[in-house]
Amino acid sequence: MIKKQWFAALAVTTLTVATVALVLVNGGPAAGQTSSPQQVEYGPEGQPVAFPHNVHAGSEEGQFQIDCMYCHFSAERSNAAGIPPVASCMGCHSIVRGDGSEEIAKVVGFWERREPIPWNRIYKVADHVQFPHLRHIAAGVDCTTCHGPVAEMGVIQEVQQPLYMGWCLTCHLEMGASRDCTTCHY
Amino acid sequence: MSEGIKRRDFLKVLGVTGAGASLVGCSTDQVNKLIPYVVPPEEITPGVATWYASTCGECAAACGVWVKTQEGRAIKIEGNPNHPVSGGALCARGHATLQGLYDPDRLKGPMRRSGDGFEPISWDEAEALLAGELRSAGSASLFLHGATGPTLTDLVSRVANSLGGQRVEYEALSEAPLREAARIAFGRNEVPVYDLESADLILSFGADFLETWGSPVEQARGFARSSGVSEDGGKARFVFLGSRLSLTGQNADNWYPIRPGSEGVVALALAGAVARQGGDAGPYGDLVSAYSLDAAAEAAGVSLASLQELVGFLVEAQAPLVLGPGVAGQHRGATAANLAALILTAVSGGVGTTLRFAAPTGGFPSTPFADVVETISAMAAGQVRTAVLHGTNPAYTLPPASGFADAFSRVGFKVVVTPQMNETAALADLILPDRHPLEAWGDSNPRDGVWALQQPTMQPVPHFDSRAAGDVLLSVARQLGVDLGAETFHDYLRNRWSERHAALSLGGGNFSDFWREALRTGVIAAPTTTAGSVALQAPDRPLAFDPPSLDGATDGLTLLVHPSSRFGDGRGANRGWLQELPDPVAKITWHSWVEIHPDTARDRGIRKGDIVRVVSPHGEVELPVWTYPGIRADTVAIAMGGGHENTGRWADGRGVNPMLLLPSEVEQPSGALVHLATRVDVIPTGRHRRLATIEGESQTFDRPITPAVQLSEMGKEKDHYGDYGPLREFQAMGGFVPVPTEGNPEDYPLEGARYGDYDPANNARWAMAIDLDKCTGCSACITACQSENNIGVVGEDQILMGRDLHWIRMERYYETIDASAPGPLDIRFLPMLCQHCGNAPCEPVCPVYAAYHTPDGLNGQIYNRCVGTRYCANNCPYKVRVFNWYEFSDVPEPLNWQYNPDVTVRTEGVMEKCSFCVQRIRRAENRATVEGRDLLDGEVAPACQQSCPAEAIVFGNIRDPESRVAQVSKNDRTYRVLDVLINTQPAVNYLRKVTFHPVKDIHV
Repeated sequence: MIKKQWFAALAVTTLTVATVALVLVNGGPAAGQTSSPQQVEYGPEGQPVAFPHNVHAGSEEGQFQIDCMYCHFSAERSNAAGIPPVASCMGCHSIVRGDGSEEIAKVVGFWERREPIPWNRIYKVADHVQFPHLRHIAAGVDCTTCHGPVAEMGVIQEVQQPLYMGWCLTCHLEMGASRDCTTCHY
Repeated sequence: MSEGIKRRDFLKVLGVTGAGASLVGCSTDQVNKLIPYVVPPEEITPGVATWYASTCGECAAACGVWVKTQEGRAIKIEGNPNHPVSGGALCARGHATLQGLYDPDRLKGPMRRSGDGFEPISWDEAEALLAGELRSAGSASLFLHGATGPTLTDLVSRVANSLGGQRVEYEALSEAPLREAARIAFGRNEVPVYDLESADLILSFGADFLETWGSPVEQARGFARSSGVSEDGGKARFVFLGSRLSLTGQNADNWYPIRPGSEGVVALALAGAVARQGGDAGPYGDLVSAYSLDAAAEAAGVSLASLQELVGFLVEAQAPLVLGPGVAGQHRGATAANLAALILTAVSGGVGTTLRFAAPTGGFPSTPFADVVETISAMAAGQVRTAVLHGTNPAYTLPPASGFADAFSRVGFKVVVTPQMNETAALADLILPDRHPLEAWGDSNPRDGVWALQQPTMQPVPHFDSRAAGDVLLSVARQLGVDLGAETFHDYLRNRWSERHAALSLGGGNFSDFWREALRTGVIAAPTTTAGSVALQAPDRPLAFDPPSLDGATDGLTLLVHPSSRFGDGRGANRGWLQELPDPVAKITWHSWVEIHPDTARDRGIRKGDIVRVVSPHGEVELPVWTYPGIRADTVAIAMGGGHENTGRWADGRGVNPMLLLPSEVEQPSGALVHLATRVDVIPTGRHRRLATIEGESQTFDRPITPAVQLSEMGKEKDHYGDYGPLREFQAMGGFVPVPTEGNPEDYPLEGARYGDYDPANNARWAMAIDLDKCTGCSACITACQSENNIGVVGEDQILMGRDLHWIRMERYYETIDASAPGPLDIRFLPMLCQHCGNAPCEPVCPVYAAYHTPDGLNGQIYNRCVGTRYCANNCPYKVRVFNWYEFSDVPEPLNWQYNPDVTVRTEGVMEKCSFCVQRIRRAENRATVEGRDLLDGEVAPACQQSCPAEAIVFGNIRDPESRVAQVSKNDRTYRVLDVLINTQPAVNYLRKVTFHPVKDIHV
């Protein structure tokens, strides 16, 4: 039999959740933002350009096996992996026009308008976490360890979602890396 | 608890429900955007800082700086180690220049007067309007500007000449009396080059050379090197002669509280006495012999014996240096007093060693106040049709008695070029938003042989539609049909430098190579030209050395109006960092105060915090009293920089402007503004306020906080470790275990403690050594730390509740201070930061393990763990932990552009404290690991050490016996604050201050 206190706890919880939901419905995401990130944000229609990582980085027939570092060049030099500038896209796509592909036309459009492409962010560690990409790459951690088999993805998705600290620490312990808090939090 | 719910179970229920809720679309996640570059700037790698060399624009000292930019935003400013002025250091005002760049109160765009207010207009309209007004004004145009670099001045001069108009350069803090004195004494109309580093005796008649006078950063470095005790026991003595101890004065070994205005008489009498013992006074022999020590003692209000002792110091010294009165002591005889100081330097043999002259640079010396007075009368007479003001704020910095505001209103068309609103701009007809120095081109030539370029370190902050003054002038000149051979000021600067490169044969290959190298290094290697030897010349005009007259009733208190080490002449007042930086002397933030000697206050029934009316014959102000034993009983002092009306949200209505109390009087013959001119009456209003001070206690009461050692007793410091039995290590499971130790940081963790990851063989022990004999208390470290670590500004109301957020606190303790008679002075500074204790009291009381010890010896503070119980702060004996009572990080755009991306921005409810700049340690470790090497000693410098003008701080791995911090700590002067009493085993080693007089042996 459920004790009285459990009801109290559940009531409190439900109330909290309901309040949060109400706030979100009424005063929720501002214009221009999507209300249901899971569906729109990660879907092909959510990104400004339906960029297929598999076509670029995949190793199957008709895929180009471009190294991750070709576009995300700062990952091995910097804390930040970086998003390639539109100019990097145009390095190839000024010639490779993909037989009138709509998506490439979009990229060319951004380039000609001198606009950055406003990608939706897939991976984000919390603000209180410092994640130095360079250190992980120097340690031989493959990009796929955290980002999954991106080279096989037509639509980029977060695979280790969410990036729990426990998940980070498991790897740190396996690799013999530091488990001190100030390694990542400062 | 059997009947209740266990906490853990409750959380489980909450967790499941919460997760369920998020699945049905109640996630509060927001879509984050990733915005790439369209075309990547070549020099930018995302996440990697790019540094640009430039010049600091905060004062005329023009320190060379390196500006750290990340993703195109300037986020930190540091001294350029290659620059001879800054030498890698920077003052608090220099750091705060970033808050000027991102000041949300900067002007949004050009504005034209419309009735009582202003209306926005476009830049094209504004420039056309200005060109039209200048054209019709012709020779009735006036350009009034501050010290803005040689090339911009040159441009202004050419535009003014093309119109037949007038150009006046005015800096509120003027060294005109010193220049004039140097002209009379040595035939050189310029500021001498002072070498504090090689001096073994420094006498200052009031010059605050560590704060605003001359080139403070360079002088602080020289002073710390000579007055900090050296390995062979050498130490320069510093004697301060003045009525009020400025921060500079507080660093003195002896204080002669001479009567204001008696400097000339005292210096000449000393010179006479030194001359009688073999000094050569040249053509001034008769003059100096006419002044006796008796008469000087009488005039100064000090004993004859004390002056005789001073003569002894001077005769003994190998390299004496005498500095005259600074701006604060600029009285009606300021030129004579400065001349007397120069004569004394020459007689005691300082010329050629501590004082020399460089060859003239042919620049544009700023014109003295006398020229401004003339300009004001020209404006009042309606002779000026169009006035363009740039880099100067006379409506605020001049005494209202000068009649500037009234005269300015009679100018037909008034234009003010400024990055932000100020009191003068509020009177203008047209306001043109200028670029901040970090966004604009320019150059500097602070002294002979030192040239540097100023380059934009980022794109102009987009919130403000600004244009560089040089570009506006060139555009206007074009519209006036004047061809200056350049489209932009950048081109103009290059052209001028191309000429200079050829004329000075500067080398460095062809001009473009030279230019690129100059921009890269931030320093231009120009040949220094020493102007050969100089000798005293006979004076070409009669001078009166007697104490000058003062306005006001003879029973009044002499008023000293001094520049603020935080705001200079007031231009830095709209910066939260500077407003909240405790004044190095008074430790007061956010508001003005008047300094009164405690005895005087008691006689008049005034207590600290009482609001008084200070009345001079020229005006009056109301402000609270701060009782200060470092000021003569017959003198009161007020700092400049307060009382703004039209500058911005952090400055307006705060404090008072002491210029209201001064007459508008020109010192003859230099033409400077007289700052020490009047006596005042101090009348209690019956009201009282709490001072927004961070000062807890001004005495140590012989506790082991700031012990000192007498120079002759060095090496005999007593070691009291063990007096209270062995130190004990608090262990997680074992309770208190006695471990014999002297508490040295390198011993941590103690033998027998439960280490876990704590492996001394493989980990560093980060530690710091601070030499208190070098520290001048200037507080640059506090602002450097604030800038590096995203530390919030809490505001006056929070300071009043003791909620300041600074990670460093500059403690100031009076040990020996006596304003009634000359004698030894002993004021001790202690930069107090987290001590990163080996046995930290904060750690065991944290219920959530947010405060803990890292394997490399840091006392970690994990913000995301912290739940804000504040137990740690309560248990910290050093009171260095600070709490975010509110969301102080939520600052108006674009101030947040300055945030360092490497440091978490703390939110409400989180405890924070000094981290030893762990982000710099981790960055360096990452770099070293990626490059496959060990960390080098000196590779990690925390922001405080990096910025310290006195080079007092050393940081490193103390477990490495070869490291500098280990070497420096191996000193008999080393001690740790409170350690012997409370067994904290700090990682900060302090080195005792060294005095010339006997000091009490403190039990440390």
